[in-house]
Amino acid sequence: MQTHHPLAGRALPGAQGRVSIRPVEDCTRFILRIDPQNLGAASSVWGANLPPTIGGLVSGSGRIATCIGPDEWYLIAPLTEQDAIESAFAALYATTIHSLVDVSHREVGIAVDGPDAVLALQASIAFDIAAMLVGSGCRTIIDRVQIILLREGQDSFRVEVWNSFSDHVWNLLAGICREIELGV
Amino acid sequence: MSTFRIPGKGRVDSTKPVQFLFNGKTYAGFEGDTVASALLASGVHLVGRSFKYHRPRGILSAGSEEPNALLGIDHGPGRVEPNTRATVIEISPGLKTISQNHWPSLERDVGAINDVLYMLFSAGFYYKTFMWPKSFWNKVYEPIIRGTAGLGKSPIVPDPDIYASRFAHCDVLVVGAGPAGLAAALDAGRSGAKVLLVDEQAELGGSLLSETDAGVDGMTGWAWLKASVDELAGMSNVTLLPRTTAIGYYHQNFVGLCQRITDHLASAPEGTPRERMWKVRAKQVVLAQGAIEKPLVFDGNDRPGVMLAGSARSYLNRYGVKVGDSPVVVTSHDSAWLAAFDLARAGVKVAAIIDIRPAVPEHLTTSASALGIEVLLGWTVTGTKGRLRISSLRAKPIDGGVAQAREFACDALLMSGGWNPSLHLFSHTQGKLEWREDAQVFLPAKHIEQSRCAGAGNGNFGLAKVLAEGAEAGVAAATDAGFSGTVSAYTVSDELDMTGVSSRELPTDKNPSTAKAFVDFQNDVTAKDIRLAVREGFKSIEHIKRYTTTGMATDQGKTSNINGLAIAADAVQRQAPAVGLTTFRPPYTPTTFGAFAGYSRGGLFDVTRKTAIDAWAQERGAVFEPVALWRRAWYFPKPGEDMHAAVARECKATRDSLGIFDASTLGKIEIVGPDAAEFLNRMYTNPWSKLQPGRCRYGVLLGEDGFIRDDGVIGRLTTDRFHVTTTTGGAARVLNMMEDYLQTEFPDLKVWLTSTTEQWSVIAINGPNARNLLAPLIEGIDLSEEAFPHMSVATGRICGVPTRLFRMSFTGERGYEVNVPARYGRAIWEKLIAEGQAYGITPYGTETMHVLRAEKGYIIVGQDTDGTLTPDDAGLGWAIGKAKADFVGKRSLARPDMLKADRKQLVGLLTADPKVVLEEGAQIVLDPNQSVPMKMVGHVTSSYWSVSLGRSIALAVIEGGNARMGETVHIPMPDGTLRAEVTGTVFVDPENTRLSA
Repeated sequence: MQTHHPLAGRALPGAQGRVSIRPVEDCTRFILRIDPQNLGAASSVWGANLPPTIGGLVSGSGRIATCIGPDEWYLIAPLTEQDAIESAFAALYATTIHSLVDVSHREVGIAVDGPDAVLALQASIAFDIAAMLVGSGCRTIIDRVQIILLREGQDSFRVEVWNSFSDHVWNLLAGICREIELGV
Repeated sequence: MSTFRIPGKGRVDSTKPVQFLFNGKTYAGFEGDTVASALLASGVHLVGRSFKYHRPRGILSAGSEEPNALLGIDHGPGRVEPNTRATVIEISPGLKTISQNHWPSLERDVGAINDVLYMLFSAGFYYKTFMWPKSFWNKVYEPIIRGTAGLGKSPIVPDPDIYASRFAHCDVLVVGAGPAGLAAALDAGRSGAKVLLVDEQAELGGSLLSETDAGVDGMTGWAWLKASVDELAGMSNVTLLPRTTAIGYYHQNFVGLCQRITDHLASAPEGTPRERMWKVRAKQVVLAQGAIEKPLVFDGNDRPGVMLAGSARSYLNRYGVKVGDSPVVVTSHDSAWLAAFDLARAGVKVAAIIDIRPAVPEHLTTSASALGIEVLLGWTVTGTKGRLRISSLRAKPIDGGVAQAREFACDALLMSGGWNPSLHLFSHTQGKLEWREDAQVFLPAKHIEQSRCAGAGNGNFGLAKVLAEGAEAGVAAATDAGFSGTVSAYTVSDELDMTGVSSRELPTDKNPSTAKAFVDFQNDVTAKDIRLAVREGFKSIEHIKRYTTTGMATDQGKTSNINGLAIAADAVQRQAPAVGLTTFRPPYTPTTFGAFAGYSRGGLFDVTRKTAIDAWAQERGAVFEPVALWRRAWYFPKPGEDMHAAVARECKATRDSLGIFDASTLGKIEIVGPDAAEFLNRMYTNPWSKLQPGRCRYGVLLGEDGFIRDDGVIGRLTTDRFHVTTTTGGAARVLNMMEDYLQTEFPDLKVWLTSTTEQWSVIAINGPNARNLLAPLIEGIDLSEEAFPHMSVATGRICGVPTRLFRMSFTGERGYEVNVPARYGRAIWEKLIAEGQAYGITPYGTETMHVLRAEKGYIIVGQDTDGTLTPDDAGLGWAIGKAKADFVGKRSLARPDMLKADRKQLVGLLTADPKVVLEEGAQIVLDPNQSVPMKMVGHVTSSYWSVSLGRSIALAVIEGGNARMGETVHIPMPDGTLRAEVTGTVFVDPENTRLSA
């Protein structure tokens, strides 16, 4: 069956290389809820250490795990790994209760890259983006829309937003990128 | 065109001429000119008519405090703006400006009759005059007053510009780039702190731009200014924002800045925002807003040609424009003398300096004498003459007789009543002000925010003092923000010490009750108006302000407040602080709505949520309706169909064979954990413990008050995992409510909640052929009646895609809801449409969904309920788990009021005339012959044409409705009273045989 990506076909490369936005390819996503005391068990199943503090982000091998609440982790993995992850956590449930919910299709990823990525996001996000640690993530608001914001590099951000809000966020960022291109 | 431009003077670029229009006539200026400076360079002082008396008005000031020179500007189609200040608008090629508030012309204005009749227009004129007859207010007085009042005309076409906004964070925000602000920014910047320096003017420098005497560190003022700005521009940690006004100072050092980007440009690339609103969170704020010169109050002080002396000096030194050929100066402060000296040195014959003080510093009189200017100390001005421009003034010794009065011919009168610190932003923070009796000024005292004031805005005048205080403030702010720096020392040369006194009205030998001595130029308020207000009993400045309108409107009393206060304090015989100071309100200067709206216009005005299937519906010509933030397909008209016909066809097709509906917007919450069932027991009215995996149940959610909040079908996927659905509009608040209870009331429960609303596309398949369509496409689920009866849920695959399949119905027909991961929603929908052709599958929208559910008496929370209905009221008493110990709202349901028999209860209505469809919201009465106002016993909540029944149906809430079955009620409407019979709420298939048909 054919899939329809909500932002299919859109991309703004950014004329002067200041900032670009593009839709991120589809991937597997989960919300993991678990008592932080059992984080070790969850990390074993996940195959890498899950960050223990809010804002923490651990990435590698195409996977990202970021802690977005006192007992909440946002997990990203390649599409092909979905079944294996689900099975592994299902097996864990017998000994360690938790909640793993598939939200792969709930979200759309938008990559915001370039030396002016901070400026572009700062247009509509209230907190100090420049102060956000490289290798961190948080749940926040952009122009009234709830998102999860990941900072993967100095100039490299990823916005994860619910499908139906993605058009709004894309159009907003596209206008802001235009301003930055114009240098005003 | 006569020219008042002095070649070689000023900072305008004489190599770059710019032409613009004023009242249809072309004027020339240079890059760097404001409209005011360019008009003055052509000898134009008359630029408008006053608000109330239509008196000719000129240019009072050279800055944003201007109350008089308000013009309409026209930057092209749609870019028309009234009431902009000529003193701040930069000229640009093609700019059109017009004067306001006159007819037929600026020079000959019929409205000026008001000036002759001024005795009628005293303070409180409207309140006193238009009181009787009372009935005239709405229809006669108010429309006429509104029609004639107000300056300028509102634009009538949409603004074609775009506007931007941006959050920003900094260590030190410096407001005002005069010498104090520059010194603060320099030292803060050198400390490494992240600094924002903003100034409302096109060029940084503030008072230095108009200062040609004093030097700093061995350089001229201008050379130091250039060096300072260059240094700041070279610091990567400093951002310079000229043309940016700090409009408001809010809690926790949050400051709004409005940056003007394109107004001064002849053209800008497509997509360039006109303005940007900066929303700055600063660790520390330095307010260096400077001071505003006070006008003097005397008869005829508003005549064109009468202006602030400091502004005349600005026009000369900054723009190279002399404001007249034969000016006279009247003052109570030394600073005005400098304007006279600079003009004289530029070759202008200054007729006289009139100072109300009996003695002034000797160096002033010495200089005046050297420049050949006559000096009159202890003298006052008692009146001016001239129709459209001042032509002469009358002066006399304050203590002298009438015989000593002299008439001076002049074409400009430069006045100064001293300087008043600009306290606006400090006042926005509710910071405490302190009255200084000696200087007759309010000064910032106790700071509420992390802020400090420096320079003239802090009551410290003089370049040396201002630079020193600015540097100190800059270092202190940087230190408090976590940096360390050293305070720079500046050596200032050739600076004069400024002294002065403050006056109320100037002394006069004329009758004060006929004097037109203006306090508030923008609102046409005179000194006698304020005295009259006091005589009539107003003692507080806040009351005087509202009675006289002094200090109101766009200039927020920048030039008038302190004079008005002095006159009021004198009239009530109290000190100024006892009379009080009116509140300064944001924005500091008028700000466009566009800047406030920012990106929130057009498609970005608000979020429009769309489902994965929305685009398909749009391609098929669906009509949409908004539901919460979503837009949903309302109905799918075929060519030639209206809504009624389309809905009738959709309803019939669904009941007869097969309908398909996009239900993706329904809220979904996945509830996981060993205590999931117990959590649902506590939240919903229904019992959940015994619901088996693979089954689902309709649930009702109440508030603590016992009233219905939400409803939806909940499926149990496994022992520990539930799939909860909510109403479309309730999705977010139901999840919030659940999280709230889980975290605060039931933290003992081992259960977690996750929103899955957007994980799934939901396709509702309803009708006798629903199973026939699905059966061949579904894998892994036995759809037989025995294995998958009504109210079941199972996971499997549809066309190879994972699905959560629900067997449920909101139509009364056999129904299924196919949940598939959202990326597959569109493809599965299209596959079902294709396969369904064999059954005449018909897509239907929300309207048909509403009709079909109403025929079955299924309620819609928020339409049939209004937050005051209990489950019993809504006929949902069966959904309450009677054996449960507790659930949210249970205790409230036992309160006596909740058990009364005459509560409003949901019933059906059948109109006497089956063709009449009642209006939703229509009120219901029992006796149509009672007198008005009738007792209303309820209202219609849902009403539709039922194609199944060939007649109208309705749902309504009626007091004691359950006991009124079969009774007739009445619905009074504008064109007659309708009759209806009270019935049950189920109109179609009461036995529910069709659910499994």
